Amino acid sequence: MELTPEKIRLFPIVLLMIIGCFGLLNSKSILRSLLSLDLIDTATITIFVFIAGSSGFQTPIVSAQRYSSYSDPYPQAIILTAIVIGFATQALLCSVALRLGRKSPMLRYRDLEK
Amino acid sequence: MMDLQIVFPALIFLPAFVGFVGCVFPRIIFPLGVLSLLGFAASSFFALQGDFAFAFTLVGEGGIQFSVDSYATPLIFGSSITLLIVFGLFANRFTHYFYQICLVLLTALFISFSAVDLVSLFISLELLGFCAFLLVADRNDKKSLFNSFQYLIGGGLAMLIYLIGVVQAFTFTGSFLLEDLVNAPDTALCLIIAGLLTKSGVFLCGLWVPNIYSHANCQSSAILSGCVTCAGIAPIARMSQILTPISDSMIVIGVISAVVAAIYAVFERESGRALGWSSVSQLGIAILSPSYGCIYAMQHGICKALLFSTLHDDNDHPGSLSKHDSNYLNNRNSPKELLRVIVFIVASLSIMGFPFLAGFTTKTWIKYDLPFEAKLIYTTASLLTSTVYARLIFDRINVFIKRQNSSQSNSFDFAVTLNDLFSKPKNYILILSTAFLVCSSFLFPELLTIGSIQSAVVSAILGGILFVSVVGIQADDFVKPVTRTLDLVGAPFLVAALLLANLLYLKI
Repeated sequence: MELTPEKIRLFPIVLLMIIGCFGLLNSKSILRSLLSLDLIDTATITIFVFIAGSSGFQTPIVSAQRYSSYSDPYPQAIILTAIVIGFATQALLCSVALRLGRKSPMLRYRDLEK
Repeated sequence: MMDLQIVFPALIFLPAFVGFVGCVFPRIIFPLGVLSLLGFAASSFFALQGDFAFAFTLVGEGGIQFSVDSYATPLIFGSSITLLIVFGLFANRFTHYFYQICLVLLTALFISFSAVDLVSLFISLELLGFCAFLLVADRNDKKSLFNSFQYLIGGGLAMLIYLIGVVQAFTFTGSFLLEDLVNAPDTALCLIIAGLLTKSGVFLCGLWVPNIYSHANCQSSAILSGCVTCAGIAPIARMSQILTPISDSMIVIGVISAVVAAIYAVFERESGRALGWSSVSQLGIAILSPSYGCIYAMQHGICKALLFSTLHDDNDHPGSLSKHDSNYLNNRNSPKELLRVIVFIVASLSIMGFPFLAGFTTKTWIKYDLPFEAKLIYTTASLLTSTVYARLIFDRINVFIKRQNSSQSNSFDFAVTLNDLFSKPKNYILILSTAFLVCSSFLFPELLTIGSIQSAVVSAILGGILFVSVVGIQADDFVKPVTRTLDLVGAPFLVAALLLANLLYLKI
């Protein structure tokens, strides 16, 4: 397996994802879990965008002036939905955290898992 | 002649439309919802009889593909029936928001049963997750809120894992269709399967199931066990039909899930939690066979919905009746309670695979579809299932008899009893569903051979004996409820890693 520039570009994203997973598995309070989940979400979206851009980064709009390297519009269109869904998940989780925070303000798993 | 190309998408989105209309006009949502559910149940039943299959593409060339076929129709039938049962049995308890959530859930289920591309599947599963979150949080106390939080964060992570698998498959195949996954690398398949298994609640990923089922309202647990967990079954069955490595790994995972979860269920003392573990075990059996798995999941869903609906007495929900009233009702409702106990027993026997019930048919199909090596472990799992349900039936009858003794209804008038039974629509629903469970086994008379009946009865009796022998063991230390978020969140990673190891090195 050779290292093309496309693959090297993905390294920081994979690192971001590993940090997110580590945070999710090691967090002691709800808010940190939320942040870690958001991190993984962002990393996934960025992977989609980079993979769409593997053939080039020009905007895929047909006009008088033609470029040679268009990016693939299909994954970009798909990932819009995932962005919205991720945002909705975060909003719902935040509202639950708000409700849970009335009883136990520290939002620690240790208090909530009893 | 109407164009099926237009009719099918309209039908798929009809429940969500009815739900949102009902939010504006709360009075009409119940009759409209029940009508559309009846329509779906009837049409999918006829489609099931006639082996109906129809594939269509939304928005012309290169659009989104759907396929309503033998994987989708049984599950559509099962989820419509489950929702009908829940609507009918708990009709007086709900606000119109509950019906709205259920109907939107139904649309998400239809999409996930009939979608053949990965992205529509992702969207429908996320929608399903939100609806299930609202159902779990319906009880509105601290514990159920925390449970729903765990469900949402675990489900969200599972869907992100799934999405990473999808994008990796896309780089190799260039499309999002399920049938193109043949060219996808092993890692992508593992990530996709791990996400789907978490949503359908098979063991190790499905650790969330018992917690949530035991604590949520019984109508919510009925819907969750009857419909929501079936959503992952159809895509898994589709994938294992075309991908041999996946179907081989599914047999390993299904067998482990069936046996281990059944053992957990045997040693579990609380009835709701035991039902949850047994649900995990039954879904493990359902993923064993791609061709009959959907029908098995349908039968299991309907039976589980009945079980959860009749698990507690009707008057158990707190805060609605004063003590005097509930005493009065207890005296009056004893034939009704008896009916509930009978339905509970029939549904349990059906899941055990007792002859002349629906579960017997599906169990026999799956049994003849399995490879020889898996058959022995499958038999063990069904034996353990019999043990679990023997205990549940025993507990339920015990509670019933205790209540009868305390209320002391001495005078037993047959006419009054009958009158009482037929005065409420709830009882009609219970009787009808029991009759359905019995009748459906006679649709396939060729399966009722002496040998299979004998083995089913023997397994049920052995289960009873096993129950008597383990009844004394108090295994509180052995079965600790899994409540830590770390375990729930970490499970999909572990399953993905194990699957990858299986596909690359072990090759079971």
